[in-house]
Amino acid sequence: MRRLIQAVPLLLGISIASFAILKAIPGGPLAAYENDPNVTDADIRRLEHELGLDQPVPLQYASWLGKFVVGDWGYSVVSHQPVLRLIGERLPNTVLLMGTVFLVVVLLTIPIGTLTAVRQYSIFDHVTTGTTFAFLSMPTFWLGLLLIIAFGLDLRWLPLGGMRAPGAAGVDLIDSARHLVLPVATIALVQLGSRVRYLRASMLETISQDFMRTARAKGLAERVVVLRHALKNASIPLVTVLALDLPELFAGALVTEQIFGWPGMGRLFWDSATRFDYPVLMGILAVTSTLIVLANLFADVLYGYLDPRIRYG
Amino acid sequence: MSRLSIVVALAFVVAACGPSTGGTSPSGAPSASGGPVRGGTLVFAIWQEPVALAPHLRNQTVANVVARPVTEGLSRTDTDGNYQPRLAKQIPTTTNGGVKLTSDGKMDVTWQLLPNLKWSDGEAVTSADIKFTWQVWMKDPNTISRTGFDQIESIDTPDDMTAVVHYKTVYGPYPNNFGDGLIPKHVLENVQDISKSDYVRMPLGTGAFKITEFVAGDHITVERNPNYRVAGKPYLDKVIFRSVPSREAAIAQLKAGEVQGMWNLLESQTPDLEKTPDVKLEIYPSPSVERIEMNTAKNQDMTDPNSVHPVLGDINVRHALLLATPKQDLIDKLLFGKAKPGTSPVSQGWASPKSLTQEGYDLNKAKQLMDQAGWVAGSDGIRSKGGVRASISIVTTTGDQTRERVEQVLVDQYKQIGVELKIANQPSSVLLSGSWSAGDPRKRGSFDLVMYASSPGIDPHNTVFQRYYSKNIPSAANGGNGQDYTRFKNPDADKAIDEAGSTLDFDKRKSAYAAALKLLNDAHVIIWLYERAGIDARRTNVGGWSGNVWDDITWNQEEWYLTAR
Repeated sequence: MRRLIQAVPLLLGISIASFAILKAIPGGPLAAYENDPNVTDADIRRLEHELGLDQPVPLQYASWLGKFVVGDWGYSVVSHQPVLRLIGERLPNTVLLMGTVFLVVVLLTIPIGTLTAVRQYSIFDHVTTGTTFAFLSMPTFWLGLLLIIAFGLDLRWLPLGGMRAPGAAGVDLIDSARHLVLPVATIALVQLGSRVRYLRASMLETISQDFMRTARAKGLAERVVVLRHALKNASIPLVTVLALDLPELFAGALVTEQIFGWPGMGRLFWDSATRFDYPVLMGILAVTSTLIVLANLFADVLYGYLDPRIRYG
Repeated sequence: MSRLSIVVALAFVVAACGPSTGGTSPSGAPSASGGPVRGGTLVFAIWQEPVALAPHLRNQTVANVVARPVTEGLSRTDTDGNYQPRLAKQIPTTTNGGVKLTSDGKMDVTWQLLPNLKWSDGEAVTSADIKFTWQVWMKDPNTISRTGFDQIESIDTPDDMTAVVHYKTVYGPYPNNFGDGLIPKHVLENVQDISKSDYVRMPLGTGAFKITEFVAGDHITVERNPNYRVAGKPYLDKVIFRSVPSREAAIAQLKAGEVQGMWNLLESQTPDLEKTPDVKLEIYPSPSVERIEMNTAKNQDMTDPNSVHPVLGDINVRHALLLATPKQDLIDKLLFGKAKPGTSPVSQGWASPKSLTQEGYDLNKAKQLMDQAGWVAGSDGIRSKGGVRASISIVTTTGDQTRERVEQVLVDQYKQIGVELKIANQPSSVLLSGSWSAGDPRKRGSFDLVMYASSPGIDPHNTVFQRYYSKNIPSAANGGNGQDYTRFKNPDADKAIDEAGSTLDFDKRKSAYAAALKLLNDAHVIIWLYERAGIDARRTNVGGWSGNVWDDITWNQEEWYLTAR
C-alpha cells in the first residue's frame, strides 16, 4: 500500500518529464499545413491559438494534467478525435499481437529452457544456445524484413502485412492467424533468446543444489524432480522478467507494428509522434508508465509469494 | 474595353469545360482487352494514415486521395487546368451572367445546382447546403484554411437550386472556392462541434462512392453510391484503401498483386517498376517546383529585412551560383530524367509564364562574374572581398536522399567558382513549420540557402502574393507574416501583383504575373531547380485511370474499372 502511494509522485514526475521532452522537440503539428498554397499565416495563427499551442509550456501541461486526472484525455490536435477513442480502437489489435507473442514465448521457453539445462552440453543445448543467441542479436526491423522477403515475397506463403485480407468480411480465424504468424515470429524469436537464457541459467543453479539431491534420494522419478522441484524454484526470476513484459501488452511493438502495418498501439504512437500529436502521445505515455510501475510492483509481490524468503520492509 | 476581354477569356474557359454532367469518357486509354467492365473490388495502397476526411478539415494528400471520390464540390479541375462544373450546371462567368461586378468593387457569383441531386443517403441537395458549407468553413474553429471563404460577405438562396454568393472583393479564384466538397446541412445543422463528430472520418457526400468503413490504421472502404447522379457509373463496386507502412511496402504489395494501385512514387523507384510486368507507371507533370532560395538580408534570427547579406547581398554572387548549378545533370543522374528544369514557381496551368527562362549551367561565366564583382580567390581557392569570405550554408530537410545528393553536387560545383558551401540540414518539422513561433528559419531569416519544394494552386494568386510581394517579408515587426523568404522587394513587382489581383481578365492577369515573375528571376534570388513529376503506379488490369496535374489520382475514380487480366 505504501509503495502504491509512493508511485504517485513518481508518475507525476514521469509525466512532467515526458511533456517537457515532447515540447522540447523542435517543430509542431501545424508543419503539415505549410505546403498547402491555400493555408495562410492567419490560418496558422488561428489554429495555433485554437489548439492552445500559443500558450507557455507549463500552462499547457497544467491544463492537460487538470483534465487528465478527472478522466478527460483530450482530443487529438490533428484528427480532433477523442484520445480515448483512438487508443480504444488500436488496443485490441495490440493485445491480440502481444498476447500471442507472450503465450508463444512462455510456452516455448519452459520446455526449451528446461531441456537445455537438464541436458547441459548436449547437442540440443549447443544448437538452441547458438540459435537463440543469433536471434537475440538480430534487430527486429531486420529480422522482420527478412521474414517478409522469405515467406511473403519469395515463397508467397504468408501475407506481406496488415491484419486481415482486404475485403475479408467478419471474423476469419484462419486469415487472422496467417497475418499473425510473421509479426509474432519476429518479436517472439528475438524475445525467446533472453528468456531461454534466463531459465537455463537459473535451472542450472537450482539443479546443483542440495535439496535436489535430497529429492532424488527420496526415490522420486527424475521427471517429478525436474518439473515439481527444480522448475518451480528456477522459474522465479523468469516470472519477474515476464511480469515486466506485461506493459507491452498495452504499448505494443513500435518497430514490428510499423514493418508489418499492424494497426496497433505502437503504430499509433509512431504516427502521433511524427505528427506532434501531443494529447495522444501523452495519453499513451501516461498509461504505459503507469503500467510499468504497476508491473514492477506486481513482480515484487509475485516474487515474495513464490519465494517466501523474500520480505519487503 | 476591359469588360470585353473578360468576356472573351471566360468564354474560352467555359468552352473548354465540356459536358456539365461530369460524365466524360475516360481520358486514360482503355486497356487493350477492351472497354470498361462493371463490378469488382479494387485495393489501393495508402502508405500514410488519413486523419480527417471532412472537406474543411483535410489537408494531407492521402486524405484527398481517399475522399475525392466521395465528397464533391460545385467544380473541379480537369487535367488541362480548366474548371469543370461538378454539382453546378455551369461555371458562372461574366459571359453567362453568373458573375456580376458591382460598382463598389464587389462581386456576386450565382451558382445553379444540377436538377435532382441527392446526397448518398437519398436526401436532396439544395442551395441551403451551399450556404451551410460556407458557414461551417467559417464557424468551425479547426477549419484548416479559410482562403476564399473569408472573402464572402453573405450568401442568398432565392430558391432551392440557386445560391448567390456575395464577395467582398473581386475574387479571381471564385470558380474553385466550393471545389473541395459541399457539407450536408441536414446531417450537421444540429451538431455542436463538427470537428469532434463522426463526420470527420465518414463524411457524407454526393460522389460516386460512399464511405462504409473506417478502420484506423488498417483500411477504409468505399462502396458504390446507389444515388449517384450518373447512370451506369461508377464501374467498380468497391474500393478498399489499404493502409501499408511505407512506400516500399506498397510497391512490394503492388508487385505481388495484393494491391492494384498506389500513388506518389519517387523518381528513384521508377527504373525497377518499369521492368516489372503487370505494373504500369503513370508519369505526368505536377505543379510542384523544387527550388533554392537565397537570403538577401543578413542571416540572423529575426533578421532586419533592410539589412544586406554580406555575401548573397551581391547580385553577381547570386547570379554566379545560378550559373554554377547543373540542373539538367541533377535531373538526369539523381531524378532518372523524370523531371524538367524549372523556370518559375508557376510551372503549370493557364497562368504559367511559358516564355520565362532561367540561364543554364556555365561555370566560366560564373567565374567571370565573380572576378568582375571583385571577389578574389584566396590560397584555399575560396574567394573573398573586403575581408568577407564567400562562405555560405545550405539547409534542407533531413533524411531526403535526393536532396542530400543534390547538396553534395552543389558543394563541389560552388567550390569550383570559389564559394564555400556548408551543409546544415534540419528536420522538416522545423524547416518547413511555416510558423514564426516554432522557429522556421525561413521565417526568421536565419539561413543562407534553403532548398525545398512548393506548389501553387490552379489559381496562383495566393502563392505569388504571399511569396513575392514586399509586404509579405516576415519580420518581428509584422509578427512573422508572409513567405517572401528571400526578402525580395521590388515596387514594380508589387504593382504587377496588385494589378493581377484586382481583375478577372485572364489575359491581363497572366501577363501581370509574368511581369512580376520576370522581375523575380532578374533579381537572381531563387534557383528553380526542377519541376517534379507526379508518378503513380497500377496493375495493368486497371483501366480508366489517368493522372491529373491539378488533382489527386482518384479524381475520376468513377471511370476506373478492373478487367480479368
